[in-house]
Amino acid sequence: MAAISQGTGSKFFFEGESGRNTRGLLRLIILVTIAAAAVASRLFSVIRFESIIHEFDPWFNFRATKYLVNNGFYNFWDWFDDRTWHPLGRVTGGTLYPGLMVTSGIIYHVLRLLSMPIDIRNICVLLAPAFSGLTAFATYLLTSEMTTSPSAGLLAAAFMGITPGYISRSVAGSYDNEAIAIFLLVFTFYLWIKAVKEGSIMWAGFCALFYGYMVSAWGGYVFITNLLPLHAFVLICMGRFSPRLYVSYTTWYALGTLASMQVPFVGFLPVRSSDHMAALGVFGLLQLVGFTEWVRTQLPSKQFQTLLRGLVLVVFAAAFGFLVLLTVSGTIAPWSGRFYSLWDTAYAKVHIPIIASVSEHQPTAWPAFFFDLNMLIWLFPAGVYMCFRTLKDEHVFIVIYSVLASYFAGVMVRLMLTLTPIVCVAAAMALSNILDIFLVAEQPVEGAQPQANGNPRANGPTTATEKLASAIPDTLRSTKTPVVGIYSYLSKSAMTGAFTAYLLLFVLHCTWVTSNAYSSPSVVLASRLPDGSQHIIDDYREAYYWLRQNTHQTAKVMSWWDYGYQIGGMADRPTLVDNNTWNNTHIATVGKAMSSREEVSYPIMRQHEVDYVLIVFGGLLGYSGDDINKFLWMVRIAEGIWPDEVKERDFFTARGEYRVDEEATPTMKNSLMYKMSYYNYNALFPAGQAQDRVRGAKLPAQGPELSTLEEAFTSENWIIRIYKVKDLDNLGRSHQEAGAFEKGNKRKKSGKRRGARVLRVD
Amino acid sequence: MRIPGILAAALLPLTALAAKKSTGDRFNDYHSKQVSTLASIKIDDVSYGEMTKAPRDYAVAVLLTALDARFGCALCHEFQPEWELLAKSWTKGDKKGESRLVYATLDFADGKQTFQSVGKRTLSSPVLLVFQPTVGPNAKPDGAPNRFDFVTGTDKAEPIHAWISRHLPDSPHPPLVRPINYVKYAVTTTAVLGGVTFLSVAWPYLLPVIQNRNLWAAISLITILLFTSGHMFNHIRKVPYVAGDGKGGLSYFASGFQNQFGLETQIVAAMYGILAFATISLALKVPRMTDPRAQQIAVFVWGGIILGMYSFLLSVFRIKNGGYPFFLPPF
Repeated sequence: MAAISQGTGSKFFFEGESGRNTRGLLRLIILVTIAAAAVASRLFSVIRFESIIHEFDPWFNFRATKYLVNNGFYNFWDWFDDRTWHPLGRVTGGTLYPGLMVTSGIIYHVLRLLSMPIDIRNICVLLAPAFSGLTAFATYLLTSEMTTSPSAGLLAAAFMGITPGYISRSVAGSYDNEAIAIFLLVFTFYLWIKAVKEGSIMWAGFCALFYGYMVSAWGGYVFITNLLPLHAFVLICMGRFSPRLYVSYTTWYALGTLASMQVPFVGFLPVRSSDHMAALGVFGLLQLVGFTEWVRTQLPSKQFQTLLRGLVLVVFAAAFGFLVLLTVSGTIAPWSGRFYSLWDTAYAKVHIPIIASVSEHQPTAWPAFFFDLNMLIWLFPAGVYMCFRTLKDEHVFIVIYSVLASYFAGVMVRLMLTLTPIVCVAAAMALSNILDIFLVAEQPVEGAQPQANGNPRANGPTTATEKLASAIPDTLRSTKTPVVGIYSYLSKSAMTGAFTAYLLLFVLHCTWVTSNAYSSPSVVLASRLPDGSQHIIDDYREAYYWLRQNTHQTAKVMSWWDYGYQIGGMADRPTLVDNNTWNNTHIATVGKAMSSREEVSYPIMRQHEVDYVLIVFGGLLGYSGDDINKFLWMVRIAEGIWPDEVKERDFFTARGEYRVDEEATPTMKNSLMYKMSYYNYNALFPAGQAQDRVRGAKLPAQGPELSTLEEAFTSENWIIRIYKVKDLDNLGRSHQEAGAFEKGNKRKKSGKRRGARVLRVD
Repeated sequence: MRIPGILAAALLPLTALAAKKSTGDRFNDYHSKQVSTLASIKIDDVSYGEMTKAPRDYAVAVLLTALDARFGCALCHEFQPEWELLAKSWTKGDKKGESRLVYATLDFADGKQTFQSVGKRTLSSPVLLVFQPTVGPNAKPDGAPNRFDFVTGTDKAEPIHAWISRHLPDSPHPPLVRPINYVKYAVTTTAVLGGVTFLSVAWPYLLPVIQNRNLWAAISLITILLFTSGHMFNHIRKVPYVAGDGKGGLSYFASGFQNQFGLETQIVAAMYGILAFATISLALKVPRMTDPRAQQIAVFVWGGIILGMYSFLLSVFRIKNGGYPFFLPPF
């Protein structure tokens, strides 16, 4: 719509000096409006629920931000957190990307300086929408560099502002690294394009600066680290080496690498890990090519140049071999697992189940693309095609980015986020092209001599060039003849009308998707009552609040890692494992405790000083994201460490089914997770009628019995169940014996009297 | 698991005479046989009992397999060369017999009773049993063998080597050595040299093709369409190409947001492709047409194609996502 107001240039005040000013003012107003729309469409969750932090990871970021604000920057930098990963603790300050927290902290202090004391929680909640406005602006800048059309940038900004692919990670309350990282990604790319275009050290320096900011904010910076060298490399291969490229790349690489090494979590990775070697390799290659180009200008001899070219090849091969040697010998770390699994898609499933277990690391089915991008998904290829028309250096960047990001988004759902900016840019280029053609009032004169479209090679048959080269033209086939224009008003109005309708549909789609799919905090669930009114299911917060009020400050809570950050953030209790997943063995230990019999689990829990066990159970409500459905991943991860004690096979029936009802395997029925989930559950139903609504299974008439744990709390809808780990028996009996005694069973005569009780005999 | 132990115990009195021979001799016999053949020992029901009977100071790794084509055990055939490779490299690396491990293979045709006794009823996959020594320095009191079921589709020797090593922790573990595949190297070298030769000869002709923008545009667009229509999902999840709808017909679109068929993604890619092509035509080709009438027709044809395709795309999306409220007129 921005384009329409732009395109229908009435001659009054759109010409001359005043015209430029008017256009600039209009553009500013439109951009501010777009930013406002971007912010507004992200506020659904705040209006519907409340100003609350969403999901899982944001809770950690929020907790870290509070720590930063309360204890100052240097304490935050050196933060050792003994309330997670009990008993190991975590060197949090050195193992996080601090960009997000520092940004919020700065905003907080600036606002206080301006006598606007705003709660840090509100800053955290609203940070992502605020930055989405900036992202729209950055997209405008990036697109304006790509095309001469004045409307393309504004269209791209509007697309970026409301497309669900980006909203999915930036609604209010989604306080995650991506909230600021996408802005930094787009803005870094803009600065890079600017630097390459102008060959200016200043722009490249800014690019390095924002690259450093990006590194401090999100692990996805590796995408930039590899995309910029790839762009430079492709340009060299196309024979487009220029001093501009040399200046911008070397400046960016030198300053950017130094900047990235200031982040403790990144440290020496830029010179030691394979992920970053492409950037270093291209840096070296550029020096070689630059040297050769210089020598070429000094030496006229053709033979010498051939020799030199050979020399360059040899040096390049030798340097490459040297890198390979360093990698093999271990000086350079191999590809990190997360990054490697993008190329070898079967890798994670075999070697790193913890990565494969995360739902956002799954491959993307086509409906997800359409859901997130709607009509942009088919405008996108058209826009990329149009980049081939003039194919300047910056268009090469678009093409590379598009192909790579499409691949990544196809492999991993969450990387849709890196694809979205380029889709918006390319789609806006395609659409603005159409609007620019069909929204012109003046008609071409019929039969007039067509004007040359500024492409001399396309003009007339090429007689001088090679036969072969003329058979295969250098330009695109569709742009060989010059532009004439559209003759009839009917065509113009029909096409304009149609595309306006599509754009309106796009806005509706985006609003609908945002409102329905991406605005749920997932901490609070909403359901509809039969009369259509909204019912809030608040079990999570109920349970975390219970923990906060009724347990000791240092009571350790064991749960699956998904809930670690929330327990730390909302209940403020130490956890064994959390979403940071830095220690696979520790997670496997929890998995083993959950998937083993009580006799095995109890010593594990005692050794880790567990006081409470928290599980999520959706059987009553039909909430499918519960622990029984995640259980197989616990088993798999535990099996990775203890293949002899935990076996995935034992949790499947003889026919290979994963069941929870009467026919569940004994291992399943005896596992701690199963027992905790269904303990006392059949008391809710008439005898023998217990029903699991998630898995649609009828449960055994006799419910499981627990001897080493006791039920401490169950939330309103049974979503969260908390168990207390019993202390050792006062009389030195095992808990099973004590339980049998309580029930009045006769004690079995055991042949030998055991010595002092020990926890585990290894 | 208890049964083989009982079986061995039951066999014990019968073989009392044979047991006069010291068990060290037994191992030496097996080992020398293995060293000379560099393969696992083929056994049957009788020699199985002989080999695994109770007082033994050596370990036995028996692979129960069904190689006869009648049983149709694909995994058995896949794993058999790997098993022989493992036996060979273990024996080669342990010529003196320090690990005291015998590799044996029992085919179903020769050992029906043993199969029954270990409770193996299906023949779709092999089973590996490792019997620990019962006497000697590394003896394990528990008589039941360790069992490895090939259910997860393991068909490589490395994990099996690791598994066996884990169960025999105190004895030496000769490394698994894969023979160098000379043919592969030769083929690769020839191919590389041939490729270099071909390139150097054909370079003048190839260069204009490589530098051709249309080619690169086509490649880029095809990759983008491939990836944005969910090809990687098909590749990773190995979805079926197409499925029946239960009424004898074909179901082209899988139900559910997180599901898709191979054909479905191709249809979607084709739709995206048509829509993109129509957009390109409208943006680049139509304004270059000099005849007003032809141009008007072209505008309406391409505009109609976009409308129809987009409307169809939305209707397909409504199949995938039941609650989706938007549509465009024709479909």
